[in-house]
Amino acid sequence: MLAVIKLLLPALTPSWRFFDSIGPSPRIEYVPPNAIDWRAFRPRPAIVAWRQMWRRLFWNPDCNESLFLTSCAERLLESPNSQSIREIEARLADAPWRQWRIVLTTRDETRLVREIAYLSPARLRA
Amino acid sequence: MTLDFAIRLTEIMLGLAYIQQSLEHLAARAGEPILFVPRIVLCALLVLGVAPGWICLVLLINGALLLRRVGGPYNGGADRMGLLILICLTFAHLTPAWREVAFGYLGAQVVLSYFISGWVKVGARDWRCGCALADVFAFSAYPVSENLRRLADRPALLTTASWAVMGFELAFPLSLLTGPSLLAALALGAAFHLANAFMFGLNRFFWIWLTAYPSLVWLQARMMSPIS
Repeated sequence: MLAVIKLLLPALTPSWRFFDSIGPSPRIEYVPPNAIDWRAFRPRPAIVAWRQMWRRLFWNPDCNESLFLTSCAERLLESPNSQSIREIEARLADAPWRQWRIVLTTRDETRLVREIAYLSPARLRA
Repeated sequence: MTLDFAIRLTEIMLGLAYIQQSLEHLAARAGEPILFVPRIVLCALLVLGVAPGWICLVLLINGALLLRRVGGPYNGGADRMGLLILICLTFAHLTPAWREVAFGYLGAQVVLSYFISGWVKVGARDWRCGCALADVFAFSAYPVSENLRRLADRPALLTTASWAVMGFELAFPLSLLTGPSLLAALALGAAFHLANAFMFGLNRFFWIWLTAYPSLVWLQARMMSPIS
């Protein structure tokens, strides 16, 4: 019961500090079985047409799931936990993988830099 | 707008917003039908107006189970606002003597959601120079397509947009002074959430913030009405 109240409390007194600072942004990448190159998991499309934007106002499961994966990656980096790993790997089932990682992108003065923040154990069989 | 009508409108809008979210969850990879199918049924009952107080309470328990299941909000601030609306509706129904306080609290939180958000931004140098918004487009996970990232190279546009957002958020409480100014501010707010839905894929924020608007319309009229 106490755990439930603890989870609900932030909803009763929210902080509302949206986008107060833009921190490093995590991306999930994976290596398919029998491959050596890292690939972005669910990369963004090059263009989203206006019509699609209107449609997504009513139906947007993929984008919302991608944002949830970003939250999972942030929670995992903040304090390592098996739940975030489970959630990420449940979604990675879309793309057979041998290993996955979290790459942080951030701004260093004027250029963007990437840093590997988490590397999963390699699987022997995908 | 009367309190009864504002509460009823909020229930209908919340029910529809939650049905939309639940269908999205069921279509996603880890659909969790055990949590979302009952939620859709509960929301349908809420829209129909069947025992709204108890339905809100059960939806709140369902929401808490969902928070536990995914280790926190699935969709950040949108989930928190949804739960806040649910908590206020539950209290408004189950403690009739406190219903004005419970629903007024929701309206006050909507005002704070804009004002605090603007306050923390205006205190940050990166927001004042437009750099924060440039970072959002340049490397954050939010832009829905790669071509939107090119906006990061438009500093004048981003600085103007940053100040427009901060100005709107900070001035929002002043809109409570009159009914027409509040309606104008809510229209601007809806346009702001629509832009966020289009550019960053935050469609749930759009629907859930609109759901909280009736509380504000009622609160403004209540604050301006003579004390009885």
